[in-house]
Amino acid sequence: MRCCDVERLWDEMREGVEPRREHVLAHLRGCTVCQEIYRENEGIAYCLTCLPPVDPPDLLVPKILEHIKAAVKIETPDSIAAIDSPIGRLFIAFRHSGITAIALDRGEGEEAVFARLQRRLGRGLIPSQAPQWVGDTVAVFFRTHTTDLGKVDITELSPFEQSALRAAATIPPGEVRSYGWIAESIGQPTAARAVGRAMARNPVPLLYPCHRVVDANGAMHQYAYGVELKARILEMEGYHPEAVLTGSKRR
Amino acid sequence: MSALAAPIIGDHYLVTAPATVSHPVPGPETFESIVDDYQRRLYGFALRMTGNREDAEEIVQDAFVRAYRALAKMDPQQRAELRLQPWLYTITLNVTRNRLRSKRPTNVALDALADPDALLNETQEGPDQPEQIVDRAADMVLVEQALLQLPMHLRAAATLRFIEGRSHPEIAEILNQPIGTVKSHVHRAVRILRRILGPQVGRIVQNDRPAANEEEEE
Repeated sequence: MRCCDVERLWDEMREGVEPRREHVLAHLRGCTVCQEIYRENEGIAYCLTCLPPVDPPDLLVPKILEHIKAAVKIETPDSIAAIDSPIGRLFIAFRHSGITAIALDRGEGEEAVFARLQRRLGRGLIPSQAPQWVGDTVAVFFRTHTTDLGKVDITELSPFEQSALRAAATIPPGEVRSYGWIAESIGQPTAARAVGRAMARNPVPLLYPCHRVVDANGAMHQYAYGVELKARILEMEGYHPEAVLTGSKRR
Repeated sequence: MSALAAPIIGDHYLVTAPATVSHPVPGPETFESIVDDYQRRLYGFALRMTGNREDAEEIVQDAFVRAYRALAKMDPQQRAELRLQPWLYTITLNVTRNRLRSKRPTNVALDALADPDALLNETQEGPDQPEQIVDRAADMVLVEQALLQLPMHLRAAATLRFIEGRSHPEIAEILNQPIGTVKSHVHRAVRILRRILGPQVGRIVQNDRPAANEEEEE
């Protein structure tokens, strides 16, 4: 047996099942070089087994479970249903945690709206019938211009977007506020532009009333479905553009 | 005591392989207990592979998410046949590979498990620390860092073999490689470690010896 073969069999020898065991031992007895290598290898193995065990950080298990929950939630498709409303046909994406997105068919056809919502949500959509609670939530909005926010799920938005939308939801129907007002009310007075972006990205228009947020001087500014529709919804809610804009004048 | 007896089969450092935890049938319903059972082992493995606690934590999280998704897609037959432990090691290793590949390679060496100086200072501050314990901690840092200097595939083989205590066939399963390749990787890893650690090894083993010698003399 050659030295290189003996050296290669070191780890098997430790297991004690190497069939050439006797030959290896015979070689080792006469070869100080290999003896030295075996001793050093054992030293390496010993050092590695001596490494202290490591403790995982506190709360690793709940963190992992939380992580899994979030990942799975994102992958489960939402349901989507069409509901006719005073402003046209609405497509409502929802899951058991609440309504996650609303899109108005601007005449582009069902498929295009589905694709738009799917892109927005980043997951699949399963066409289905609107359950009672979804229909009721929409109907209540058009009747009273208020929303049970427990029926709307915006938890996937950034914390900033969420707080901006929650602030918008405090504006009473028939009134408007400025982007700056929202920014101030969430404690970030310089973030008016960011509020504007958050309103533009609102996945649940109407229910979270981003339409009640306007320019500092009362101009409608922008709306996902056009300024005209924004004006119409506000009028429906009893707002008259001539009315003095309450709240901060700052944008 | 013959020169060879102890080093070859010295039972004080026989590789210990903890028994594989067995689950009836792994599935999303039993996943919490799977996480409970394996998080410590996989975290330790990821930490030895990366030398960085934050990386290790994120790797383990990602690995369990992947495992969960994969389990959810398996039919009962596949689940029953699944060998959970090697499978989880494989996933953890894949996540580790992806993560280390996307990082600059120097990070591995720089983010070494612990800063040897800091560790020395910390230990030396204690008034009653015997010198030996200080040396020992510093030695372990040397070993950790030597391991991190190995190329990925050799580090994986050596870690699974000597730290995780897995058998050759199980490592072959984890790495999806023939047993011969595993053995040669283990062999090459040890050879490189021998070169990196050099005389330190003898000293570490020697430092651990006196106690044993005293016993023998009695």
